[in-house]
Amino acid sequence: MTVNGRSVSAEVETRFLLVDFLRHRLRLTGTHVGCAHGACGACTILLDDRPARSCLVFAVQADGATIRTIESLAQDDRLSPLQEEFRNHHALQCGYCTPGMLMAATALLAETPDPTETQIKEYMAGNLCRCTGYQPIVRAVKATAARRPK
Amino acid sequence: MAVGAPAARLEGAEKVSGRARYTEDLRLPGMLHARLVLSPHPRARIARIPKEAALEVPGIVAVYTGADLPIGTAARRALAKEEVRYTGEPVAAVLAESEAAAADAVERLASVVEYEVMTPILDPMDAMRPDAPAVTAVILADAEAAAHAAASAGAEDQEKRPSNITNHVTYKRGDVEAGLREADLVIERTYTTPRVHQLYIEPQCAVATTDPASGHVTIYTATQGQFFVREQVAKALDLPLQSVRVVPLTIGGGFGGKIQLIQPMAAALALASNRPVRLILTRSEDLLLSTPAPECVMTLKTGVKKDGTLTAIEGKLIFDSGSAPAAPTGIGALLMGGYYRVPHFHVEAFEVLTNKPAVGAYRAPGATQANFAMESQMDIMGRALGLDPVAFRLHNAAAEGDPMPDGKPWNRIGLREVLERLQRHPAWTGRETGDGVGYGIAVGGWPGGVESASACMRANTDGTFQVVTGAIDVTGTSTTFAQIAADVLGLPVDKIQVITSDTDTAPYAGMSAGSKTLYTVGAALQIAAEDARRQILEIAAKEMEAHVDDLEIANGQVRVKGAPGRSLAVAEVAARSMRFGAKHPPIFGAGSVPSPKTSPGFAAHLVKARVDRETGAVKILGHVVFQDVGFAVNPAAVDGQIRGGAVQAIGWGLIEAMRYDESGTLLTSTLSDYPLPRASDVPPMDVEFIEVRSQYGPYGAKGVGEPPIISGGPAIANAVADACGVREVSLPITAERLLAALEGGRPRA
Ligand code: FES
Ligand code: FES
Repeated sequence: MTVNGRSVSAEVETRFLLVDFLRHRLRLTGTHVGCAHGACGACTILLDDRPARSCLVFAVQADGATIRTIESLAQDDRLSPLQEEFRNHHALQCGYCTPGMLMAATALLAETPDPTETQIKEYMAGNLCRCTGYQPIVRAVKATAARRPK
Repeated sequence: MAVGAPAARLEGAEKVSGRARYTEDLRLPGMLHARLVLSPHPRARIARIPKEAALEVPGIVAVYTGADLPIGTAARRALAKEEVRYTGEPVAAVLAESEAAAADAVERLASVVEYEVMTPILDPMDAMRPDAPAVTAVILADAEAAAHAAASAGAEDQEKRPSNITNHVTYKRGDVEAGLREADLVIERTYTTPRVHQLYIEPQCAVATTDPASGHVTIYTATQGQFFVREQVAKALDLPLQSVRVVPLTIGGGFGGKIQLIQPMAAALALASNRPVRLILTRSEDLLLSTPAPECVMTLKTGVKKDGTLTAIEGKLIFDSGSAPAAPTGIGALLMGGYYRVPHFHVEAFEVLTNKPAVGAYRAPGATQANFAMESQMDIMGRALGLDPVAFRLHNAAAEGDPMPDGKPWNRIGLREVLERLQRHPAWTGRETGDGVGYGIAVGGWPGGVESASACMRANTDGTFQVVTGAIDVTGTSTTFAQIAADVLGLPVDKIQVITSDTDTAPYAGMSAGSKTLYTVGAALQIAAEDARRQILEIAAKEMEAHVDDLEIANGQVRVKGAPGRSLAVAEVAARSMRFGAKHPPIFGAGSVPSPKTSPGFAAHLVKARVDRETGAVKILGHVVFQDVGFAVNPAAVDGQIRGGAVQAIGWGLIEAMRYDESGTLLTSTLSDYPLPRASDVPPMDVEFIEVRSQYGPYGAKGVGEPPIISGGPAIANAVADACGVREVSLPITAERLLAALEGGRPRA
């Protein structure tokens, strides 16, 4: 598979989860585990450009796939506009849900460059955050959309 | 100026880039994986734990039972011994070379542990009966509960009883019977609130390792209070404090629920195996054995005159504390109407043990429950007498100097001010009536936790400074600390680094709980920064041959006031105080404070909601929170606290509850079953700061964490009553529950 632009090959047990492969084999620990049963979205990554819960995918199922994790958003240590807006808008407190939120929002903005508030709330409804009350996250996504050259 | 202006979070960049380090990210060489075997029964005798079943699994290293590792206190054991007291109680721990092997071993062993099942006591009403069997034979004042009685509610009458009632608090003034006789209207109701989980998104986690040379143990963990963890681990393992080091890593949410839980177990396993041990709960294990908010049954009988004057409050709260004493009895009793001026008052609260997991603190413990009952009751009385809900509350609101239920006077509070701001807000003055739309308000407060605290300020020779504290940053307090230090020193915020060091090196700070981190540690830090500033000026005065009083610091330069040409860089001052042969002592600021007086924080909620009569669904159309924050040092962080708390309140109001079946099995043991508010559930929300300055907090700041969650639930219940005429006395007001009431023609509000 290709992970964050690099091709990776490894032998894994069939029951090894993709999230464990990313976190423990590749040491990409930015992807978090909040439930391991597909309910919180903390483990959201992009699998062939679509948001996916890496706790619900076995590593072997991702054979040949192209994967992007939170670690790919910043370019040469420069935060992406979405990351900057999350930071500026206090769209995080403990930060545990943040990588999953950012990956879901990345997918949303790729599909819908200028989403409405309702579209954002609905798209992000599968990603749980216990700290922020979501409104700063919605604002950060909107602000990112507003930054795109029209 | 840095203070009072919104500042971006210092740790924001590492959190948005995935670089922040959480406990689960830690991998130590030779590390073993621990997993726990949990009891499937709420009350049983353990007949046999055939350890061989687990030991056969390849990769397994060791299996321990309560007999092998008798750690913890009698009321709260790390591993059950002889009998289990709740479903989910750990009965054995396995250590394996991999997480998968540990999971396999747990599965094997769990299926063969033999129990003699007994009838559980699940209902606190049953547990209170004198003939009820004891949930635990040992009645101990629980250290954890005491430590988290953050509001320091001094009860006038506390007693310990040899039964399942482990605490009983009474507050009394006047003569309620007489007060009720004077009333034109007496209302009596029973209210209930469910067991609600803090549901931090990062599960409980700890990694422990030992130093073979010294025998010391180090614990890396997510906790709100590292010194408290150190003390509890030392006590559980009978070690001197110096032998235990707690290193707090980034915490993935706490809300009162991440203080101390599995750390003694992780430390014991590391010591027993002499290998590093990682113990991370799965989400289900976390829901089964961590410490949520208690269920509460409350009765209120209140009297009021036609003009809206309260004459008497008589109340009772029964907290289901689960298998160990930890309920917020004192705070609950203090806040059941204690913020209204009423001559006759009698409220008592009971803590009762049952065969469920022990409870713990969840944001504003005791306040959320008591306030739901009191503010619902206010709405019922106000409606019956045709009173304006805001005016009715204002008419009875306590003010500075009025007695609290414990007899102490209220310090300066903004109760009146938050209500007055609500009264003028367009969302209130412009109320529109429409089909199924209703408005509800409620107000409540948090007494404010207090504790002594210390901090220090170190200079570096490049002109940067390090603030060192022992306070855990759960909510953004590091950023606020940096703003304060920068303000005092006259430096840009980026010259300040804020460090939470570990229990071996940090100056003492209490747990980040009770809305007291900025209030106490921030105050100590302000003193430390002033101390450092004085030293800088003294050194500069000597070097510049000027008088100290003529100097000021601006933009990183010490300058002679009025003579812009004469200046010396702060970096240079620092460098001249720290080098070979230096003439000056190193700049080192220290600050410590005793527990300050409290500055209670009040907040009012205004909720506009629509009830769908077909489905019973409640949709919140608008929500405004009016909170007295004293002074917002970092308005962006304060705003975030209020919104986060208010959405948790929506969870309390409409959806959240841990549910058990009759056999004591948790039905909501996954995140798919336990409902949390989602982005799509959040209504348009406004936040209004009211700034009634505290006389004690830094810059007049008050604690802001707890207040925003307290009155959201009752404001929603009151809006529902206004919208459809149904008075819900139990939270959460789920669509199912409301529909049943609408169809059943429940008595009107
Ligand atoms: S960890 Fe994958 S959805 Fe929660
Ligand atoms: S920031 Fe803590 S869970 Fe979202």
